[in-house]
Amino acid sequence: MTRLPLDDAHGGDRFPGFDVLAQSRRWDAATRAVVEARLAPDTRLRFFSALEAATAGALFDQLLDQHDGVKVPVLELVDDRLARDETDGWRYSTMPKDPDAWRRTLAALDADSIARGGDSFGATGRDAQAAIIQSVQDLGDADWHAMKASQVWSLWTRYACTAFYSHPLAWQEMGFAGPAYPRGYKNLGLDRREAFEVRDHRPTLDPQRDQP
Amino acid sequence: MGASAIGDLIDPGMAEVRERNESAWLLTPRGEVDRSLQERMRRYGDKDEVDVVVVGCGAGGATMLQRLARGGWSTVGFDAGPFWDPELDWVSDEAGSHKLYWTEPRVLGGSDPVPLGSNNSGRGVGGSMVHYAGFVPRLHPSDFATLTNDGVGEDWPIDYDDLKQYYEAIEGELPVAGDDWPWGDPHRYRYRPQPVSGNGEVFLRGALAAGIEARVGPVAIANGRFGHRPHCIYRGFCLQGCKVNAKASPLITHVPDALAHGAEIRADTMVTAVELDERTGRAIGVRYLRDGVEHLQRARVVVVAGYSIETPRLLLNSVSRRFPAGLCNDYDLVGRYLMVQGAPQTAGRFDSEVRMFKAPPPEVSSEEFYETDATKPYKRGFSIQTVSPLPITWAEHVAAQGHWGASLRARMSDYVHWSCLGALCEFLPQPENRVTLADETDSHGLRVARFDYSQCDNDRMLVKAAQEVMERILKAAGADDVMTIQRYAHLVGGARMGADETSGVVDGHCRTFAVPNLYIADGSVLPTQGSANPALTIMSIAARAADRMLATDPTGKRK
Repeated sequence: MTRLPLDDAHGGDRFPGFDVLAQSRRWDAATRAVVEARLAPDTRLRFFSALEAATAGALFDQLLDQHDGVKVPVLELVDDRLARDETDGWRYSTMPKDPDAWRRTLAALDADSIARGGDSFGATGRDAQAAIIQSVQDLGDADWHAMKASQVWSLWTRYACTAFYSHPLAWQEMGFAGPAYPRGYKNLGLDRREAFEVRDHRPTLDPQRDQP
Repeated sequence: MGASAIGDLIDPGMAEVRERNESAWLLTPRGEVDRSLQERMRRYGDKDEVDVVVVGCGAGGATMLQRLARGGWSTVGFDAGPFWDPELDWVSDEAGSHKLYWTEPRVLGGSDPVPLGSNNSGRGVGGSMVHYAGFVPRLHPSDFATLTNDGVGEDWPIDYDDLKQYYEAIEGELPVAGDDWPWGDPHRYRYRPQPVSGNGEVFLRGALAAGIEARVGPVAIANGRFGHRPHCIYRGFCLQGCKVNAKASPLITHVPDALAHGAEIRADTMVTAVELDERTGRAIGVRYLRDGVEHLQRARVVVVAGYSIETPRLLLNSVSRRFPAGLCNDYDLVGRYLMVQGAPQTAGRFDSEVRMFKAPPPEVSSEEFYETDATKPYKRGFSIQTVSPLPITWAEHVAAQGHWGASLRARMSDYVHWSCLGALCEFLPQPENRVTLADETDSHGLRVARFDYSQCDNDRMLVKAAQEVMERILKAAGADDVMTIQRYAHLVGGARMGADETSGVVDGHCRTFAVPNLYIADGSVLPTQGSANPALTIMSIAARAADRMLATDPTGKRK
């Protein structure tokens, strides 16, 4: 059974043995096709240039803490989405259209990285990348490269989280079984589970309370 | 005796609904959308002058089509999106449901811009009700006179009693399950409340401990089988379109009956303008694009039902010598007074497993804070309801707290322990909250909508108060931690009804003041929004307008 690496202190291994994909034979055909297409998306990128891909890949790895081992293919999923121009159906009047906003913000990350004496964003060290990202978040509603930093942050996290949390391996580490048709649920209510669900083995971990 | 005939004996209410709207019995016996109805659908030519064209097949438009087709009118409905087949087209998956939303470009402005798309904008036959949660509360009687009673908002040209029989009729057709309802005009529902999941349990327990009244429902999912529609399987993907066909949407509650009564629905067809005869001042039909070619469908009456963004956009894009600033826009009212409900969402953490993704998100609600409370500094109020975000939406909630990287992953791993409530705050109608046309054009070359939104002080006070109440409920239920995200819910307004042409675009029967055979029958006609999810009200207003049209015959054909 494949799992994403996540150390115990950060919520890893809370649902030992829980296997989302083992249930896929109980999904309907339309849903199975959509979810399975995410497991191995085309690695030939259509939207990002090579440099943009290096920057975007590093940004996604940072935002989603995916550095080593098995990964959700976030870069490929976002690239596919942008190549198909699948936007959220709106943009802020103060931001460019999504494809342009992506190119501009990735170039701005490279510029920040170089201005700090480093290489392009993708080629600089992880700590330096994290510091740059944190500085963008810290700007809040102030401007960053002539864009509102909070709107840039919204763009990055929306695309990154949509891709990552659309993936069965991400569902697995949160105890979510994914598609539920035509199977449905039988056991509703607090502390009630289906036969295929696994209880949280560390229910008092409560990262909100215990973690930094 | 067939299964449905037995059902009629057991539940005479079902037979009564079937008499006037057979949709639930026009699905296949297995409860699927019957494609043969579309294949056998009546088809009109552009040159045929039909009695009515309806632009948009959502809550308002599909109700109109069903009522008018049943009334014997020749009817053609248009929708920019697809004619859905739930089994083939919809998925039990969040990201894969993207195509259910209106994702053509739109531009957001104002001091509090409101995201559209998945949040509030549908596309395709069934409209936004395909992906609404399914809560179908009524407005309260007080909603129709907030200006007189509270000095805020606007008075409607109709009142609650004008709508009451239509509320009852539509509640029968959806149908609705829920507890006896103590708020507004107290009333009951035909179907007993749905069983609740962990999230609903938390709300009920917390509300009881905090001394707040809460009820289960009202939800547009029959508690049991309804016609050929199967019962709910509690899979929790209501917002991704109900593949089961247990949750009501016009695609299964009104469109089948409309087709069976001779309506044609042209899906994947974008209407670009309402065409006007400059000499008579009457609408003569609509211009539309199909496969890139422009056509004109002639009609005696035109009904626009494109909802709060697309209806104003269509009117503003329909310019003529008579209406240089957009159709029906003599008094600069088109696009104005657009409202969203403020929808702060507060989650609470429990050591128990809540698993809020199980069962429909709409479960429990409270309207205890709906009305103006003289002891508070703000007017009007809010309702509280269960919402149950799936992983992607939940990630948005968690990321909004500032988490990213390892801290985001850690907090997301805690998903099964969280319960989530949402408020609907009655934001007030303001003239500058409006749709205008941006310079940018869409793939058809039509100017896209720009939507500006800014909150007023009353709005902000409501959001704060609602958050406090949700925190109180969750803590009373035993939550050891809470976190809130600021969101927005439903759209209404933008082409509101009024007493006369200086205060509204349409009258109380949805007829435009400026063009005698042009109607607007969707959420854009609401002058205020209350704290109720708007679907039921939109359908009821459309049903009432259709009744009046059948009685007065604006086609001029039958006089």
